[in-house]
Amino acid sequence: MGYKVNRPEFTLAENAYFVEMAKGIGVATKHLVENLASRKHTVTREYPEQQPEYAARYRGQHRLMLRDDGRARCVACMLCSTACPAKCITIQAGDYGDDQVEKYPIKFEIDLLVCVYCGMCEEACPCDAIRMDSGVHAAPELHRAASRVGKVDLLRLGELSIAQQGGTFR
Amino acid sequence: MSLIKVKIDGTEVEVPPGTTILKAAEQAGVEIPTFCYHDALTRPANCRMCLVNTNKAPKLLPACYSTVMDGMEVTTTDPKTEKTRKSTLEFILLHHPVDCPICDQAGECTLQNHYFDHSASKSRSFTRKNHKPKAVEIGPRVTFDAERCIVCTRCVRFCDEVSKSGELQVVQRGERSEISTFPGRSLDNAYSLNTVDLCPVGALTSTDFRFKMRVWFLNSANSVCSGCARGCNIIVDHGENRVQRYRPRYNADVNQFWMCDAGRETYQEFQQQRLDSGRVSGFEVPTKDALSAAAAAIDAFVKERSVDALAFVLSPLSTNEDTWGVLALAEALGVTRFYVGGRAAGQADELLVLADKNPNRKGLETLLAARGLTAEPLSALTTGIASGAVGGVVWVGHEHPRNAPLEAALQKLALRVVLTSNASVWSTGASVIVATRTFEESDGTWTNAAGKTQRLFRALEPLREIPPTWDAAARIGRALSAALPLWLSARSVFDELVRAAPTLATTWDGPSGRKQGRPDVPNPGFRAQAFPRRG
Ligand code: SF4
Ligand code: SF4
Ligand code: SF4
Ligand code: SF4
Ligand code: FES
Repeated sequence: MGYKVNRPEFTLAENAYFVEMAKGIGVATKHLVENLASRKHTVTREYPEQQPEYAARYRGQHRLMLRDDGRARCVACMLCSTACPAKCITIQAGDYGDDQVEKYPIKFEIDLLVCVYCGMCEEACPCDAIRMDSGVHAAPELHRAASRVGKVDLLRLGELSIAQQGGTFR
Repeated sequence: MSLIKVKIDGTEVEVPPGTTILKAAEQAGVEIPTFCYHDALTRPANCRMCLVNTNKAPKLLPACYSTVMDGMEVTTTDPKTEKTRKSTLEFILLHHPVDCPICDQAGECTLQNHYFDHSASKSRSFTRKNHKPKAVEIGPRVTFDAERCIVCTRCVRFCDEVSKSGELQVVQRGERSEISTFPGRSLDNAYSLNTVDLCPVGALTSTDFRFKMRVWFLNSANSVCSGCARGCNIIVDHGENRVQRYRPRYNADVNQFWMCDAGRETYQEFQQQRLDSGRVSGFEVPTKDALSAAAAAIDAFVKERSVDALAFVLSPLSTNEDTWGVLALAEALGVTRFYVGGRAAGQADELLVLADKNPNRKGLETLLAARGLTAEPLSALTTGIASGAVGGVVWVGHEHPRNAPLEAALQKLALRVVLTSNASVWSTGASVIVATRTFEESDGTWTNAAGKTQRLFRALEPLREIPPTWDAAARIGRALSAALPLWLSARSVFDELVRAAPTLATTWDGPSGRKQGRPDVPNPGFRAQAFPRRG
């Protein structure tokens, strides 16, 4: 079994090589001249001056959302780190000592080099505390340690969430 | 007494009269959900979770309280029972905060489990939830969250019936019901943390364990509490290769369902000043160097003085296997002087706590007797050193109370080899320290005051290549060309010591024959090194 592939026979001109070569150079030169004269047909992007537009659902670098008073919404329930298939979220829980929020992350660290950007953490979070809608993609770093982003950096990208903590009737 | 026949979900069982439906169902292999029922407490039948349909009453009966009747047919999965369960759960959850994300009980919560097994329906409530005090320090070791309480009164009954301290009561009525201590009192009895285990929800949580770790990250191994000579059966819950908490494990002969609060805190003792490598003249060295240095030091001492001037200090906290290994080394050297240290005696109480705070004194004594040896209390060592009879010691353990004259006397010794898991005043200034495993890192057995030998399953990975004490002793012995048996695991030491002291026999692999901890190998070496777990 197999396909019969029709291979066209080369004409004499094609076999002569030089004619075809000249044609090819002609095409390349035409594009070169065109692109030098105008940018209309270029497909490459002038990165990083020109940033790509990401779709709204693009999963970029994580961010931690904020409460009204600027504290993290995250209550260190560890559901994200439980759901994470790459096991790249490290959270250490602390106690505010109040009776409203009680629990918060002393440390919240994501190793972006280990992360597979699956979005499981976002989905697992019961508090709308972690999101990947920052529109920022993880930047390349010179050192591994710099890719372990901590709570401060994650909160810097954060903003208020419209979700009401604890539901509507509190 | 004739047995009566009952049918539970089609399975016929014969039970003595007076048996509850719940127990009969257990016998039939049918599980009935409960909240307020507990085997060791009285039955108020207040949660109504266990209601089941029978052919003997028009209404559903609480299975935990109602006794079976001859010819009774019980159904636990018919629509009526299931609908009732659902309604009961809806009722319980009406004012429940469902703050599982910050609730330490999440993952081991009876309410969560029952909800997913028997309801899993959306809330239909449109009223505001009641608010009650949260994060209340109800006792020195227990944190109370009134919103999460389902008023099953298990905690109240425990304090009334088991600890007999009666601090707790239910105040208010109906949806405002709350657990509270009597005015001016606090939940501070010596067994208060058992209420945390009893509480089916996250209303009572341990202040020590609070927010430390989610329970689903914990691994468990069956073990025995080191707190006193009772030898309460426990579960060592560990995560990130550290012990996170102890929980009592049911044993009808020893501790029933309970353990004391002091016992639960003993894990901290083994985390303080943990030695992760040997020391020779104060410098950190790998275990094999520490072992050969120990052997060389003992050899030099025996050649220079005599073996009569060498004493062994034993610990009643060592496992039987560790003690057996050390005794084998001592006997191979020809040592005759033994001293027994251990934690100082404390207070006993009526429930579990014994005055002897050492978990294995009985085992130690039995093993000494089996080898025909005698030992003196540690305090006698001071005079031994002062009189010049003792010139060097091989010292096991760190758990000996401070004793200034002895500490001063030790400085005069020509040889101090210490085998210990944790640094202490007894290891400072020692010529050689061999780091050994804690009991949580070892397989072994302890014999409690009643003479019952109980198995400890290994919970933690030992740090680096740290050996168990019996292995360290055997390796020192072999370095001294003493004829010590080549033990391959704690099991082989145990088999040997049981031949010499048959009263110490016990099932090695646990009652179910199943391993309940990590595999029993003495030197996992590099392979099983504990790497820090990420995330
Ligand atoms: S995106 Fe996936 S891999 Fe990355 S942190 Fe979230 S759960 Fe983990
Ligand atoms: S980010 Fe969300 S899921 Fe992760 S710990 Fe915080 S609250 Fe829990
Ligand atoms: S008691 Fe159970 S259901 Fe209630 S908040 Fe805690 S974990 Fe959730
Ligand atoms: S605190 Fe816990 S054990 Fe006590 S009544 Fe409430 S739910 Fe039951
Ligand atoms: S378990 Fe039977 S009523 Fe609570």
